[in-house]
Amino acid sequence: MGSLAVELFGKTLKNPVMNASGTLGYGVEIEPLWAVETMGAYVTKGLSAAPHHGNPTPRVWEERCGMLNSIGLQNVGVERFFSHYFPFFVERRCPVVVNFFGFSEEEYLSCAKTIEPHDLIVALEMNLSCPNIKKGGISFGKEASAVHAIVRSVREVTKIPLIAKLTPEVKNLVEIARAAYEGGADGLTLINTIPAAVVDVKDRRVSLKGGLSGPLLKPIALRAVHECSQAVPIPIIGVGGITNAEDALAFLMAGARAVQVGCATFVDPFAMPKIIAGLDSWLDASGLAGISAIVGAAHG
Amino acid sequence: MDDIPGKITWNDCVTGSYRRLSVRLERSLGRVSPGQFVMVKIPDRDVFLRRPFSIYDSRGRTLTIVYRVVGKGTDALSAAARGTPLMVLGPLGRGFTPGKATTPIVVAGGIGYAGVRMLLKRLDHRATLFFGATGKDELRLAEDLGATRVLASTMDGSFGFAGDVVSLLGHHLDDYRDKKPEVFACGPSGMVRSLKALLEPGRIPCQVSVEERMACGMGLCFGCVVATADETNPYKRVCKEGPVFSLWDLSL
Repeated sequence: MGSLAVELFGKTLKNPVMNASGTLGYGVEIEPLWAVETMGAYVTKGLSAAPHHGNPTPRVWEERCGMLNSIGLQNVGVERFFSHYFPFFVERRCPVVVNFFGFSEEEYLSCAKTIEPHDLIVALEMNLSCPNIKKGGISFGKEASAVHAIVRSVREVTKIPLIAKLTPEVKNLVEIARAAYEGGADGLTLINTIPAAVVDVKDRRVSLKGGLSGPLLKPIALRAVHECSQAVPIPIIGVGGITNAEDALAFLMAGARAVQVGCATFVDPFAMPKIIAGLDSWLDASGLAGISAIVGAAHG
Repeated sequence: MDDIPGKITWNDCVTGSYRRLSVRLERSLGRVSPGQFVMVKIPDRDVFLRRPFSIYDSRGRTLTIVYRVVGKGTDALSAAARGTPLMVLGPLGRGFTPGKATTPIVVAGGIGYAGVRMLLKRLDHRATLFFGATGKDELRLAEDLGATRVLASTMDGSFGFAGDVVSLLGHHLDDYRDKKPEVFACGPSGMVRSLKALLEPGRIPCQVSVEERMACGMGLCFGCVVATADETNPYKRVCKEGPVFSLWDLSL
């Protein structure tokens, strides 16, 4: 029997499958169906220094092969997460990736500083798609220099491994990936949702502007993972439209050390346990010693 | 809560664009409280997300919903033939919690009837249903209530009170003055707003089932929120903290 375990920032995860931030609530909501520690790690909902109320509805809209969301980063705040929800993951011995965001450098720093190292915290995952309010609302993740600067600042205030989650809506993603790496990122998550809109033809107006996710993102994300994983020497976590074990394998072969599953869970709440079981069967049939052996198999 | 495979045994028109769908499930939904809902995987490739439906009836392994064809999802569902397999996630959310010593008044508008039908059955003859319809044909939805007292209104005046259901309730509210009335409602947002205006003077207890566009149905995505009066955390998940809320907690 081969092992699904993967090494990430010096920690061993029992498999390479996590949820994408914001698609598994605070983790406790899935408990009636399956245990959170089924996953290699749980990725938190995006947390901020202060609680955020989020956007009015509509917040979600369906597309033919995916969905748009504009939740507006509603969250209870980083302190409440650690006092109220984190003990649940400790009790379950479930590794946690802490996703966080800010609307200014100060907010990123104040959030990152709040989080104490813990043997179950695998990494902090910085959401770089947020608008920088002090720079006219342009997203932190759009310019290599801005990515370099914010990653470097956060790097200085925490000892926890740092992942930069990048937006694909840039001129040159490889350049952005390099900037994050040079700024001190220990890993990258690729990719965030893609800005999109839906128009209601009957009402002649935009129904929703938000981030597009779902199966139609997969080839875009695969290309990002394939190119960036060959450009920077740090682990990549692949995310975008993963629905089944074959999708997950494609990401690993493209160069991802681990994968995240997002809105597939909304379509099938057992998508992640099924993907993990599917990877296990594939590994058995392959005769490989471990799933890590196929990471980057599609390079070159 | 469970995700259960089933097969369609019935998917027929009730009246107009209203349809009744029964599914024979592999396992029972288990204990269902009135007002809870299910997320149904629509058997159509072009429909990505599941769709929420109030549980109209759940008996053994047979689940029944009543739905109105309003868009892509329900349109595709209406085309599904008997025998078609589908997945049902549920029961979901928090339903109605009627008090023991109160006089229940149930208010439903149109397809909102599907959201209160289990409650009416559970309350048996104790409740009175105020049912608001656009016209006489829509009243056929509530034909299966047996002994429950029904007062109907139609917007076109083709049956019962001519006008909206909240105005109809307004004419009868005095009858309940010393009977500890408790209102349970499900209907369009306009109905809920006028209900709030009607009940405001006496702050009569009222539980309302709220509808919102959903993605996951189980509290994962925070997509289906409703604004409440809670200042520190105003947006509550309709699928998780609801769909039934106290009318007086909602910020309408």
